[in-house]
Amino acid sequence: MVAETLPPPIAQSGIGHWFKKHFFSTWLDGVLSLIFLALIIWVVSAVWTWGLRHAIWTVENREACGHGSGACWAVIQDRHRLILFGLYPYEEHWRSTLACLAVIATMVLSCVPLFWTVWRLPILWLVGFGTFVLLMRGGFAGMPLVTTEQWGGLSLTIFIFSAVFVLGTPLAVILAFARRSSLPVIAKTTGLFIDIFRSLPLLTILFAAAVVVPLVLPDWLQGDKLGRVIIGFALFFAAYQAEIIRAGLQSIPDGQVEAAVSLNMPFWSQVVDIQLPQAFRNTLPSTINQAVITFKETSIVTIIGFFEVMASGNAVVGTGEWGQQYVEVYLFLAFIYFVFVFGLSRYGAWLETRMRVGHG
Amino acid sequence: MAEHAISFEKLNKYYGDHHALRDVTLDVDHGETLVICGPSGSGKSTLIRCVNGLEAYADGALSVLGHSVGDDERELEAVRKRVGMVFQSFNLFPHLTVLENCVLPQVRGIKRSRTEATQIAMGQLGRVRVAEHAHKFPDQISGGQKQRVALARSLSLDPDIMLFDEPTSALDPEMISEVLDVMQELTRGNMTIICVTHEMGFARAVADKVILMVDGAIVEQGDPEQMFTVPKHPITQDFMKAVAS
Ligand SMILES: Nc1ncnc2c1ncn2[C@@H]1O[C@H](COP(=O)(O)OP(=O)(O)OP(=O)(O)O)[C@@H](O)[C@H]1O
Ligand SMILES: [Mg+2]
Repeated sequence: MVAETLPPPIAQSGIGHWFKKHFFSTWLDGVLSLIFLALIIWVVSAVWTWGLRHAIWTVENREACGHGSGACWAVIQDRHRLILFGLYPYEEHWRSTLACLAVIATMVLSCVPLFWTVWRLPILWLVGFGTFVLLMRGGFAGMPLVTTEQWGGLSLTIFIFSAVFVLGTPLAVILAFARRSSLPVIAKTTGLFIDIFRSLPLLTILFAAAVVVPLVLPDWLQGDKLGRVIIGFALFFAAYQAEIIRAGLQSIPDGQVEAAVSLNMPFWSQVVDIQLPQAFRNTLPSTINQAVITFKETSIVTIIGFFEVMASGNAVVGTGEWGQQYVEVYLFLAFIYFVFVFGLSRYGAWLETRMRVGHG
Repeated sequence: MAEHAISFEKLNKYYGDHHALRDVTLDVDHGETLVICGPSGSGKSTLIRCVNGLEAYADGALSVLGHSVGDDERELEAVRKRVGMVFQSFNLFPHLTVLENCVLPQVRGIKRSRTEATQIAMGQLGRVRVAEHAHKFPDQISGGQKQRVALARSLSLDPDIMLFDEPTSALDPEMISEVLDVMQELTRGNMTIICVTHEMGFARAVADKVILMVDGAIVEQGDPEQMFTVPKHPITQDFMKAVAS
């Protein structure tokens, strides 16, 4: 049989071809594509019209709110301070802003590999969180004292999250190693501790920290209610994170530690230089996941009387004045959460690509 | 200086019911190259891992460069300072570059400055001919190169004794000789070497002494010519026939 000579394929390129190939390759594809296109246009235009074109932006025009067909962003203009700062005294908001920036800067710097040494990280955290607490509390240099009951809004949310993460992570590392200890007493006790903290609902732990602990502990040991709640939260976080780290440690081949031992590296260096970086790398997706969950869970502290960002948003809607504008307020809150959580997951993705170089 | 570099005396070791080392008595002299051969599961790795304390033994005595290897942590540390080890599976640190693999143990273990450690590391990487890969990560180089990096990493700590546990068994055939070549160069110096290997040609070329282990015991020892050409023990005769074919 003689093979038929085919004409050379026609070079097909260009946007038109790409569209045809991906959206209109069959009759059914074409119909579905058109339906979805119409749907997208409809949603986008509705959001556009409601959220931007017909929206009311300033408090001066607030009478129009609720009559037209647009969003009433005036509520955000009017009450953004309440959402961002909660009950913090109005004239002192600049302090809360600076404090918040200090913690955000600390967290961003902690994400830079340059700071990942045994000394730099603790010093960075001490300075960052010290600045936050000093600025927020005041009571010196002409800054009036503001007690933690008055802290609130977004700054409180960010502070609780970062403090829980920064206290909880080293604790989780210690728990993970203790659970792998060759001494059964230590391993069993740690296991029990982790299981207890994981099986209790977070709400119970926070209630205990806020309400029960003061009944049990002597005055001088009680500290501040916010401090106790953060410690309780950090213990809860550490119990979960310890198991993640333990899984990461288990996935390191025995040969790694054997090599470090035979190279006569001291124990602390085996942990800090060899085991932790690999355990951390192996568990990065679950760690980021845990961080995202923790960020969202901070809203639970409302229930024990802290005025974090979610509670502040509720307070805005709770007043009769802006009671109609709950959609706008919750959208704004959702936007705030989205910015943080999206930032976290982008950072996680960046770290993962960075660490893929040099995978054994 | 101690009479022998390493001396085992009636060493016994058990894994549960399994008797992994049986009354092993053996001396290795300074500068000597000892090759251990034997079938799989005969206790070769166990024996070599006792030398730097990666495995603990049950009874008997083991002294390395005058230090007794046992429960005493300080003696153990003194031994590990002088003994390097190369593993079958390389065990490079995957998250560190080739250079950092060689620098970090110097900085952490013997408190060398980073500058000095880097200089020494580059020297050793050059010696095993992988200097041009210094800034790559372990997963970016070949198996033969990895094993040579592992050797350079150990040599950077100036050991007096080197232990090799089947250093070429995990390598593709075409990479075996590049590793054996640098090991052979090493045997010409005054390093004391114990090497577990199935590479009989190499063993014959470099060994000062060869031992055969079976079921945790040394069944025959002697110089390579005698062991490979006129083995006395019937087990040795069988083993030599098996590995020769
Ligand atoms: N950690 C351990 N736990 C229990 N048994 C072990 C352990 N390590 C080794 N063994 C057993 O001890 C015996 C000797 O093991 P060893 O690894 O020393 O043998 P080998 O001569 O190095 O063998 P190979 O040539 O396969 O490496 C084997 O039967 C092995 O199953
Ligand atoms: Mg072995």
